[in-house]
Amino acid sequence: MALSRDVYREFEDIVGRENISDDPAFLDSYAFEWLAELVRPNQSHFMPRPVAVIMPASTEEVQAIIRVCNKYKIKAKPISTGWYHWAAPLKEDEDTIQIDLRRMNRILEIDEKNMYAVVEPYVICAQLQAEVMKLGLNLNIIGAGSSTSIVASACAYAGPGPSSFWMGNNSDNLLGMEWVTPTGEIIRTGSMGSGSGWFCGEGPGPSVRGICRGMLGSRGAMGVYTKCAIKLSDWPGPPELDVKGTVPAYRLPIPDNFRVYTIAVPNWDAWADISYMLYDNEIGYIFHRQFNLAGADLGPALWLTYNDHTKTLGDIEELVEKPEIQELTEEMRISFQFIMAGRSIRDIELQDKILDQILAETGGWKVGRFCEQDMAEFTNMYLQRMGHKHLNFVWAGGYLGSWMQSGTPDWVKDYVPIAIEGLRRDAASGQLVQCGGDALMGCGSQIGGGGMTGLEQFVSYDPADSDSIAAGTQHMVDAVEDAVSNGFPPGKEQLYLQVGQKDEEIWASLEKSAQPTIYHFQRKIKEAFDPNNIGDRMYSILPADKS
Amino acid sequence: MALEDYRADALRCTRCSYCKWIPLDLVKSWRFSKGCPSIEYSSFHSYSAGGRLVTALSLMEGRSKVTDQVIDSVFKCQLCGNCDVTCKLCRYDMEPLAAMHELRFKLVEDGYVLPQHKLVMEGFRKLDNMLNKPRAQRGDWADGLQVKDLSNTKAEVVFHAGCRYSYDSDLGQVAKTSIEILQNVGVDVGIMGKNESCCGGRAYHMGYGPHYRKAAEHNIEAWIGAGVKTVITPCADCYHTFKRLYPGAGSQIEVLHMVEFVSRLIEEGKLKFSKSIPMRVTYHDPCHLGRQGEPYVAWEGKEKKIFGQAVVYDPPRPRYNGAQGIYEPPRNVLRSIPGLELVEMERIKEAGWCCGAGGGVREAYPEFSAWTAGERIEEAKSTAADAIVSACPWCERNFIDATKQNDTKMKVFDVMELVQQAI
Amino acid sequence: MDPRKEQLIGIVGGENVLDDHLTLEAYAKDHSFVLPIKPWFVVKPKSMTEVQGLVEWANETSTPLVPVSSGPPHFHGDTVPSVPGAVIVELFLMNHILNIDRRNKMVVVEPGVTYGQLERELAKEGLRVTMPLLPRGNKSVVASLLERQPTTVPRYNYSLTEPLRDCGVVWGNGEITYTGEAGNLSYSLEEQWRAGEMQVDPKGPAQTDFFRLLTGAQGSMGIVVWASIKCELLPSIRKLFFIPAEKLEDLIDLSYQIQRLRLGDEVLLVNNSQLVNMLGKNDDRIRALKEGVPSWVLIIGIAGRALFPVEKVDVQEKDIGDLAQQFGLKLQSEIPGITDNEMLEVILNPSDEPYWKLKYKGACQDIFFLTTLDKIPQYLKTMYSVANAFEYPASEIGVYIQPQHHGVEHHCEFNLPFDPKDAKETAKVKEIYSKASQEVIGQGAYFARPYGIWANMVFNRDAQSTIALKKIKRVFDPNNVMNPGKLCF
Repeated sequence: MALSRDVYREFEDIVGRENISDDPAFLDSYAFEWLAELVRPNQSHFMPRPVAVIMPASTEEVQAIIRVCNKYKIKAKPISTGWYHWAAPLKEDEDTIQIDLRRMNRILEIDEKNMYAVVEPYVICAQLQAEVMKLGLNLNIIGAGSSTSIVASACAYAGPGPSSFWMGNNSDNLLGMEWVTPTGEIIRTGSMGSGSGWFCGEGPGPSVRGICRGMLGSRGAMGVYTKCAIKLSDWPGPPELDVKGTVPAYRLPIPDNFRVYTIAVPNWDAWADISYMLYDNEIGYIFHRQFNLAGADLGPALWLTYNDHTKTLGDIEELVEKPEIQELTEEMRISFQFIMAGRSIRDIELQDKILDQILAETGGWKVGRFCEQDMAEFTNMYLQRMGHKHLNFVWAGGYLGSWMQSGTPDWVKDYVPIAIEGLRRDAASGQLVQCGGDALMGCGSQIGGGGMTGLEQFVSYDPADSDSIAAGTQHMVDAVEDAVSNGFPPGKEQLYLQVGQKDEEIWASLEKSAQPTIYHFQRKIKEAFDPNNIGDRMYSILPADKS
Repeated sequence: MALEDYRADALRCTRCSYCKWIPLDLVKSWRFSKGCPSIEYSSFHSYSAGGRLVTALSLMEGRSKVTDQVIDSVFKCQLCGNCDVTCKLCRYDMEPLAAMHELRFKLVEDGYVLPQHKLVMEGFRKLDNMLNKPRAQRGDWADGLQVKDLSNTKAEVVFHAGCRYSYDSDLGQVAKTSIEILQNVGVDVGIMGKNESCCGGRAYHMGYGPHYRKAAEHNIEAWIGAGVKTVITPCADCYHTFKRLYPGAGSQIEVLHMVEFVSRLIEEGKLKFSKSIPMRVTYHDPCHLGRQGEPYVAWEGKEKKIFGQAVVYDPPRPRYNGAQGIYEPPRNVLRSIPGLELVEMERIKEAGWCCGAGGGVREAYPEFSAWTAGERIEEAKSTAADAIVSACPWCERNFIDATKQNDTKMKVFDVMELVQQAI
Repeated sequence: MDPRKEQLIGIVGGENVLDDHLTLEAYAKDHSFVLPIKPWFVVKPKSMTEVQGLVEWANETSTPLVPVSSGPPHFHGDTVPSVPGAVIVELFLMNHILNIDRRNKMVVVEPGVTYGQLERELAKEGLRVTMPLLPRGNKSVVASLLERQPTTVPRYNYSLTEPLRDCGVVWGNGEITYTGEAGNLSYSLEEQWRAGEMQVDPKGPAQTDFFRLLTGAQGSMGIVVWASIKCELLPSIRKLFFIPAEKLEDLIDLSYQIQRLRLGDEVLLVNNSQLVNMLGKNDDRIRALKEGVPSWVLIIGIAGRALFPVEKVDVQEKDIGDLAQQFGLKLQSEIPGITDNEMLEVILNPSDEPYWKLKYKGACQDIFFLTTLDKIPQYLKTMYSVANAFEYPASEIGVYIQPQHHGVEHHCEFNLPFDPKDAKETAKVKEIYSKASQEVIGQGAYFARPYGIWANMVFNRDAQSTIALKKIKRVFDPNNVMNPGKLCF
């Protein structure tokens, strides 16, 4: 339902006329979201329209907006860089105002000595990385890439990335944060609340941040995070990236104290073994199975094509048939990217020696072609800056991630053949991109120091093709079934599907979870912090009558 | 083409928002990471390329109507093409810039025009220029030059000054210098003089497709009549129009920018500089010479799918992604001038920030245009350069106005002005 | 018999309900300055089921519970009841190591497992767990981690809560959930292990870091009945170096760099008093050491494990040496009176008896907080100034600085030894403790673990967190049976 003029004016008084709109086309630009077509009625690409979009410039403005939302029981849905359909309003019958945090885009502080930065929601990873690299520092860039908001990944969503093995998950890198709660209070967590600065996210006593995010964050459903402090790590590279190459294949020369490899293993047991050995030996700066997002059958051809700016995607059709490419494809069928950074030359030489020994013991090898200068420099550029992540969409525009259940390498490898077979089966009709079944991509470790990984199937579909969309949706349903019937919990696809489900369906699956008490606790937390229910159902709860 | 032809692009947009930034690999600072002046100025998502694709879809599906806000979001954009480069970093199936052009064509066709553009186009129709100046004065910049008049004789090369150089007295020296250089090396060159007509490029960018087409056909016919094989221009806007748009109207005439020509002369040893210009300069890549200055490749084909759903084109569709823009020739020229120290801004080549003048923005949104130029001047200042140099009169004019407005000491030059000083 | 005693016996068994005078006296107080309050009973559950029974009973009868998992002496007041009529839930009988997994470097323990016990068992599997500095032999590993006691290897601190991972918890309302990835699976740990789930990820489940609500909670949210802990590989080679300096300031930049480059295993900074107290076995030894020990020392242990351990140590030693040289400092294998091996022996093991802090004078009051390293000289100045004002010899104050979280946070601790039989000295230390705490908190020191008098100081400064914590408390312990009177509850 449209906002009444009076209510609109109350919002307008907060931000100024030019920073709020209820123009239908403008609202559609927020309703339109990737993945919507997989779950919405009639494959609509549009989620429900917000009643207005509003752009605050400060925490005080956010607070005022939230108070008006409470007054009129309007749902508040913050968005920053916006990735996934749950960034939009969720229900047709809920009046939701979209709070676009674009104007809150400042880096507030970089404390070089104490290795943290304080940022607003619209600071993206690329911006902060460029600034902190000047000081010899770096940050964990999440798997979705450097166009993403640091506040969003740290406070409101997940947080793992290719560099998490060394730099930690952004959940762990999160220090203090400033939270405008659903009732419009401002809580500064950790040391900031005590007026001691941003450096500590825990306490005092039990950590309030514990209710702000867990495995996942609230995805916009529990107020607005207006600032956060993020822990940084050392960067033993140059203060400015000396990027070479021709668009799109930018390259980053590799300094003497770095090594950039693509490493392959003969089977999935060896993949688990090598992961454990890398964890035990504590070598590696970036550790990720990235290039396989294109599919093991097509990946090598895609990457070589991508690195030639005179070529287009269609050239791959011929390239994959070439014997040398087929050989390469087999060579790197089970492979991942691995970058090491040494604090000294002796350090990197030792890391190299350790890696060689690990390869010898696990039967792994360095993939020659991808370790040649051109591809190694491309790999270095790609993974250091993570600035090519809309390659997720390269094949046909649409990609959905299925599986991605997280656990130890031994546990994850057990679901790999099921995931591969499932995609191969579902792509057989030709309605999904046929990349061989293995399009699994994921972090070598999602958490600092190793121990936990997860592999996500990159399932490519054409969002302009109704049959392809249907195949994508069906794949998600199949993937849930494949997982559950084989004793694994459902993966990421369940999160996508839930956006299109009715409340009762979601509750039914939560009730079946191993420990539904969790969701009752979350309901009570929500009741305490969001009594007027202005956050939407992205914060999962079970109603009281389900206990 | 029609807007409907871009429905698939709109459906395949994933709201990744790369269109708002320069290629992320190239980001060197927070300050100069932004790629899209439109969304930086106006903030709503509809002011990005991705947002406009949604606008197109929303209109096509009847979900919304054209309102003042929609018009504002569609036209408050220089069509600089930064979004196109960054989108195509990873997408082979998207044409956001072309789609935004088509959206403008549609709006103009349906009568949704900006009054400021209407005024300019009336002048264009009556006076054959974009500046509402008397036709008779068009050739005045060439007064005193002995150069062929191609309205009554023939030549291999036509030198096209363009509207801005023809009428902007501050800048006209560039055209004169260009003719002198061409003649000195024995090029068989002529001009249309007062009979030179606007290239039509800016009309195209404002969404006036048929007006552009008429101008193109007229010019092509005039050149063929004059025996022209090559058109040389010092204006990046005209350059882009002739090189990338005119072939679609039937032109087979070679297109060169003066900086390309001069760079070639320097490499061949045919042009030497005798004077030193001790100055620190930074070069601004004009959108229409840089990322949009790539060679034209004729294409007619259709979409096909491989590997099930991977979207490709048959025959392969040309990939205008900024890789082959004209970046090095102007730099070669500047580096060859004695005493000149060339320093680079952070956003250069395919990632260059727009001067602010294009897309009808200077005409319709002067504040936004000035702000955009001001941002670029700030970036130039960050290099400690004494001057910002470009190869387009619209860039130059916008920068001159911005430096005056912001009261900065930054000087503004065209490459050809420095060439003239150094010869 | 008291009907409550009967009920308690029904839950934990007769031999595990104590109400004799001596036992109750022992739990009525600790080494802190909190007011003694006697509990009504001390009970000793043996299982999660019994713990749940106790919590449910507490809710039904509105009886406060105070969980205790470490043996005495206690120092912070958190295990002393703050209200009358409380029941001490002593978790010593829950002292089983439930699982050790070498490949995943994880161990699952019950709350009664101590560091000494754990170290012995892990060593058999080639593992160890990062320890705090010289914990008591009877210190509960789970309690230490839950209270975010700083550990000595900052390199492994990807989070301030490390190496704590998942927990099984009986919440204050009597419900049981598992935190972290364990919360996504069945309640049977054995089933989880059979399925290859090793309770590695502490996050969640769902959108709440439940384990974070337990850390620093002083038992006021629930009772943890098991915890999974990340282990390290047992090194095959160790070295230790001292980097001495006259002033703390001289070590700061080097320490920052060491943290930034993730050099070393054990890294800590101590002043001479602290070093002496750590090593002193008796008065003579202490006196002898005091003669020659430098004013400040950065202690850095280097370990080699897994492949090429010798080379790993060698490379680190050289890299640290190069760094130290840049700051005009030197690595030394010994300092007057103390060898590297002796120091290693001390920092790698729990304290011997009596607890090291009590050896010198019999009692010790700690003041500790979190800060950034660059601010510590200022706090040091304040501490000394307050001590001087009360005529307490500053030279007696032990200072321990522990880098945490890769050097972002630093635990700064002042130890004030005193003779508990000397009433004047005791009173003096009590005043200093209060005054110094107030002064440093005013300067920005962050008391993330607000025991005793710090609680009011901290929560009075942070109204919003206080309100939020009370709301959280009402969710998990609506009847406020879990250690009421602690923190802001």
